[in-house]
Amino acid sequence: MTADAFLFWFLAIVTLVSGLSVILLSNPIYSSLCLAMTMVGISALFVTLNAYFIAGVQLIVYAGAVMVLFVMVIMLFDLKKDIQAFTKGKFSGAVKIASVGLLAGLVVGAIAMSVGLLNEKTADNPVTAGTGMETTKALGQILFSKYIFGFEALGVLLLVIAVGAVALARSKGGTHEH
Amino acid sequence: MNTDFINNIGLTHYLVLAALLFMMGMAGVLLRRNVIVLLMSVELMLNSVNLTFIAFSKYLGILDGHIMVFFVMTIAAAEAAVGLALAVSIFKRFNEVNIRFFEHLKG
Repeated sequence: MTADAFLFWFLAIVTLVSGLSVILLSNPIYSSLCLAMTMVGISALFVTLNAYFIAGVQLIVYAGAVMVLFVMVIMLFDLKKDIQAFTKGKFSGAVKIASVGLLAGLVVGAIAMSVGLLNEKTADNPVTAGTGMETTKALGQILFSKYIFGFEALGVLLLVIAVGAVALARSKGGTHEH
Repeated sequence: MNTDFINNIGLTHYLVLAALLFMMGMAGVLLRRNVIVLLMSVELMLNSVNLTFIAFSKYLGILDGHIMVFFVMTIAAAEAAVGLALAVSIFKRFNEVNIRFFEHLKG
């Protein structure tokens, strides 16, 4: 087995096992720690795909900021172990798992069929050709030219989110009692 | 045994991995009762989509997927902030984070 292949399989197994643990462990704090592990695994997979800058952002934003937010909120709630971790709604768990499995089969089948069409285009590859610095430079140039309106919209969105989160926290039932 | 599949890592491998992660997130949303775990499952799905974007970006040789990942990450951070604020608000009011207890929005 080559080093590249070994790296991929190792990271894939780590990511899948920790992703499965997120939904199977009944204690939410363990779920969140497993989710952090999944984020780190995906970040390493980004490195194997030559997306160095995105991998760094993934580590800082997801594995750092978002996971700290989750863990802090869980600690705020002081939750015990969930005895009934799984729902019993109108549809039973078996039906839900079966439908997810069917969708998984459909998606994987569609991928397997469509990838044959893509294989021809992948011979010449500008993203893999450059070093990490060149990719990051090109990324910044696209972000501030082609996608400048999306970028501005994201700024507005973040402002709205900040105001909305504060409004939610201050409203009745929020963290600040009146 | 055909070792081609094991040794030559291509786009298919990344896509199947991302599809499996997406299904895990979806199963989590459908099966779990804890609101926080539901939010975490949504993050799992968003991450798998990011992986798909980056994989396509590499194998098609274009950078636009990277930009989409930026956008998805921003939306995910915003969603986590508002979702957790809602969860805190719900917990303060009902003293419970189990979705079975909030049936007020059911039609």
